[in-house]
Amino acid sequence: MSDAASKPNPVKHEPTPTAPMRKRSEQTGPDLKTLTRAWLESHRASLLDSLRRLAKQPIGSFFTCLVMAVALSLPMGLSLLLDNLERLGGSWQRAAQISLFLDLQAGEADSQQLRDEIAAMPDVAEVELISREQALDEFQQQSGLGDALRELPDNPLPAVILVTPKEVDKAALESLRLRLDELNAVELAQLDLVWVERLTAILKLGDHFVFGLSLLLVMALLLVIGNTIRLAIENRRTEIEVIKLVGGTDGYVRRPFLYMGAMYGLGAGLMAWGILAFGLDWLNSAVVRLAGLYGSDFALLGVPGADAASLVLAAVLLGYVGAWLAVARHLSELAPR
Amino acid sequence: MIRFEQVAKRYPNGHVGLHELTFRVRRGEFLFITGHSGAGKSTLLRLLLAMERPTGGKLLLAGQDLARISNAQIPFLRRQIGVVFQNHQLLFDRSVFDNVALPLQILGLSKPEIDKRVRTALERVSLLDKVDAYPADISTGQQQRVGIARAVVHQPALLLADEPTGNLDPRLAAEIMGVFEDINRLGTTVLIASHDLALIARMRHRMLTLQRGRLIGDGEAA
Repeated sequence: MSDAASKPNPVKHEPTPTAPMRKRSEQTGPDLKTLTRAWLESHRASLLDSLRRLAKQPIGSFFTCLVMAVALSLPMGLSLLLDNLERLGGSWQRAAQISLFLDLQAGEADSQQLRDEIAAMPDVAEVELISREQALDEFQQQSGLGDALRELPDNPLPAVILVTPKEVDKAALESLRLRLDELNAVELAQLDLVWVERLTAILKLGDHFVFGLSLLLVMALLLVIGNTIRLAIENRRTEIEVIKLVGGTDGYVRRPFLYMGAMYGLGAGLMAWGILAFGLDWLNSAVVRLAGLYGSDFALLGVPGADAASLVLAAVLLGYVGAWLAVARHLSELAPR
Repeated sequence: MIRFEQVAKRYPNGHVGLHELTFRVRRGEFLFITGHSGAGKSTLLRLLLAMERPTGGKLLLAGQDLARISNAQIPFLRRQIGVVFQNHQLLFDRSVFDNVALPLQILGLSKPEIDKRVRTALERVSLLDKVDAYPADISTGQQQRVGIARAVVHQPALLLADEPTGNLDPRLAAEIMGVFEDINRLGTTVLIASHDLALIARMRHRMLTLQRGRLIGDGEAA
């Protein structure tokens, strides 16, 4: 006891409790069913509370989602354009042909047998045989040396097999060229890889650019959502302090903000999807017109369903993570005063 | 219920909030803590709420050592305590019902159970007719009674009040004290920090007197 306790004027009346402070169940702690119900109820309440607060400020919420949506749609849009470019590159595969110049001694039947053998290869998309006679005709027409060529005792041109591979990858093309070069009756297998290399390099550069841009924009998104949640926390400082004083756990305090972050993410993801779908559709009409001038039926693909779902999911996750980081940073500052 | 054994609180800046305080509070007691501003009343309540930790001695609340309690355990400790503030600390964007329901929502009780308990608590402080009102629409005395209803709605073992009548006129202050006595009669330990000696004297309960962080008196208010 303290020094004061030994002083006069002692405690005269110390009442004894008239009833137990707690029921037995409350003394031993809640059961699993109660805890589960409490947990579910808390999630339901947090979700509804977040929705209510977002709906209370429709314009602010809309613009936050819009900023996030623009940031999301930039890398996603570029990625989709690159996919389309790759597809366009694929349609130019014809230019990535391997030309097989056959032995002059190879007869018509040998050439056709070789063509069939190559066509059966799994990594070959298409095979075209140009016989020695066809080659000479073409050369005569294109070179303007028709009369001079007719003076030659023999046709100097070999038969040619044009092989269109399935893959435009440099390594795959080179591997196929080497295999074709070793075939009987093949004098020379020639492949012009320069443009393929250039296209591949451009696409890789594009991929790197999109990756870098995505990283930057993910950080920007986390900042946007973090700042929004920080403001929401500031606006609810008193409420948070009271909640903590009456026994709210950090999880209880955090929950509505996490839902809010996820909601912003969901809104942003759906908006980004809309922006991309509309943007690609709008761009597609011009692309179709341009492709038509080159005799192509190329058209941009829209946003594939799986990509759209990934976009929305990633946006929700980003919103959730951004909110979690913001709350984790500010929660310790919100100890009751 | 509460045991202070040589409890001290020293702040990093060197200021001493409490000097080796020793006393006990039994279950069901009604206790005043009095003293001038800076005497240590609020520090004592903050220690009991685990808003601060003692820097010396042993502080036991229902057998739990508050010097050693983990941060994760603090919310569960506070669920056994009701707290009433001088400035009410009500949430003005929530109705009276929602303010009082807050501790029960945190406990995760079912809606019918919350409804029943909130109405009982509001009836106890004679505010059942204000269940749908907002704090801004009711008087200061009524706001304080809402604060009390929120503090007792989850049937805490201990009720702490920090200057609960500080902003009220004498008639309202006496009325609020009557509410605290009613709650105490139901078995809740009540601990009130107040410097209103006239009011305390009228109530004839045990009184701890603090002066500059030291306990200088422990006995029934005269």
